[in-house]
Amino acid sequence: MVRQNQRAIRRTLAGPAALLDRVLALASRYSSSLLLLMVFLVVIVVGLLVIRDLHTTNVEAQKMYAGSVLGLHRIGELQYQTQETRRSTFYALTTNDSNLQVEYADQSREADRRVNEGIVEYVRQARMPHEIELGKRLQRDWTAYLSVRNEVLASILEGSTKDAVTLDLSGGVPSFERVRQDLEEIKRLYDEQASERLTNVVAASRRFAIRLIGVLAFTLLFASASVWAIQRSKMLGAIQLAALQMEFVASVSHELRTPLAVISSAADNIVDGLVRGKEDLNRYGSVLRNQSRQMTELVDQILLFASTKDRNSRYLIRPLQVSQIIQSALNNTAELVHETSFLVESHIEPDLPCIMGDLSALSQCLQNLIVNAVKYSGASRWLGISARLGDSADRAGQEIQIAVQDRGLGIDRADTPHIFEPFYRSAAVTAAQIHGTGLGLPLAKSIAEAMGGRLSVVSELSVGSVFTLHLPAAKVQELGTAAVSPEPHSATDI
Amino acid sequence: MPRLAGLLFILASAVFSIAALSYAFAPDPGRLPEPQNASEQNLAIVVNVSNPISNLSMSELRKIFLGERSHWPNGRRITLVMMEAGQPERAVVLRDICQMNETDFNNHFLHGVFTGEVLVSPKTLATPVGVRKFIFNVPGAIGYLRVSDLDSTVSVVRIDERGPEDKGYKLHVPPRSPK
Repeated sequence: MVRQNQRAIRRTLAGPAALLDRVLALASRYSSSLLLLMVFLVVIVVGLLVIRDLHTTNVEAQKMYAGSVLGLHRIGELQYQTQETRRSTFYALTTNDSNLQVEYADQSREADRRVNEGIVEYVRQARMPHEIELGKRLQRDWTAYLSVRNEVLASILEGSTKDAVTLDLSGGVPSFERVRQDLEEIKRLYDEQASERLTNVVAASRRFAIRLIGVLAFTLLFASASVWAIQRSKMLGAIQLAALQMEFVASVSHELRTPLAVISSAADNIVDGLVRGKEDLNRYGSVLRNQSRQMTELVDQILLFASTKDRNSRYLIRPLQVSQIIQSALNNTAELVHETSFLVESHIEPDLPCIMGDLSALSQCLQNLIVNAVKYSGASRWLGISARLGDSADRAGQEIQIAVQDRGLGIDRADTPHIFEPFYRSAAVTAAQIHGTGLGLPLAKSIAEAMGGRLSVVSELSVGSVFTLHLPAAKVQELGTAAVSPEPHSATDI
Repeated sequence: MPRLAGLLFILASAVFSIAALSYAFAPDPGRLPEPQNASEQNLAIVVNVSNPISNLSMSELRKIFLGERSHWPNGRRITLVMMEAGQPERAVVLRDICQMNETDFNNHFLHGVFTGEVLVSPKTLATPVGVRKFIFNVPGAIGYLRVSDLDSTVSVVRIDERGPEDKGYKLHVPPRSPK
């Protein structure tokens, strides 16, 4: 049943999308909100890109308006005011009233003041050399016309109409014509610039539209993919959880069923009167005791495993001597070792630093490794326990390495990645009818990780296995805050 | 302590009363006081700023205002600017410079133009602002303005080495009657 469930899960995870599913499962386990955060970030980035493009187009349009539309308006105003300057001068010719003539002269001067301001503004805003040159030329031509205009005005006010007309025809008309041509040229320049900018704005607008469509399509696809991935990862997580729960129930039921069957059978035999002699009674009693112990052990393992998975479980962390942990584990497994006549060789390096941990938990961790070594040692009936100081592979500093070695069956390379999964039992072990819950190694691993360490394995089929518990050496500061537990008995060979 | 508070109250009341009285009897800012400076009642003879003439004798001035002199030393034609008849400024010029009354002055120019002795008759303008603007526009123009009507667009000519601000200046005009 358990194996069927495991195969079902593997089938679910098999196929081309297996890797993706594993990644998604991991994502869902740790944080699907991470994926949502990514989507949010992508949307923010896309939004910023769109805003930037909008801003660029807006700036282009503003430039076009400021550079061309306003420019053309300015030129139109300049043309009007130059005409007004000349027109007002001519109005003064139409009357003999000095007061009116002065008023027209005033209007002409006001208009020429506005023309001068317009020209100065044009020169100030001119950027291209051609524009600057044109502005300066207009300024020269306008000044030349004004000097003629002033003479004409003076003649009109003096009452010399004939002189005024002569002066205007000889000097005013040609100089004003030059001003008109300058203005026409500036207008043509503005027209060209406006047409060029309009082309630019149209092109920028088209680029922006294409980019916007692309970005929106990408965002939509990405968001859809993310939503799909989140949903799929959650679904996979739920499937995995359900499968694990079923597997757990099945495993526990299976493991409980065997001793229960034996106990039930023995009880039936006793009730049916098949057990008659004292010898038979002793044999049945022994069977019942063994099976009860097996059931108790299973229930204890399950409860312990559940407690290590509970994040709220509390450990009594304190400085511990390595020998103290090993001795505790050996004491607790002494009966088993004695019954199975195993030779235990223990070697602990002297002057090992303390570690920070929970004595009971670490002792349980080592006990599981020792029990496994006893179970799977076959006929060798030997196990070795050693402790040494070594460099930590995954963090800076030194660590304590406690190794439990056997010369037993060894572990198939294909089974190695799964031996720390709860309830996993290899096909070879099941075939050899070696009883177990599949919780010993996961439990040991959980404890090691809870103590800030890890559990590693090196194994070769038919040669044996070495399980190593890596624990960080306690730092001086940690030792300073906790009292070191009393020195236990030194480890000895059993 | 109550005595100090009472003193402070009296002091604050006095300051407030003084401020209120000052405000109540302050001159109306919209109605500027009449200039009290005697020089501002003088009449200045003005020409275009481009005109290099800075001083004229009273006899030269009389010739100019009677149209007996038609050109400036730089060759520019002289254009005489007068204000309309009835203006106190015009009366001062006729009396002190031309030494004529209105009728004699008009007759003088009618006769001059008719005989060809005077080439151009004076230009007549209604307001001091008009006079000022006319002189600003015509390089050969000459006219007169009250000192209070002067600005930088015209140039003042001294008479017998005396400016309107100097003692002994001869052209005085009565104050403008309030409208």
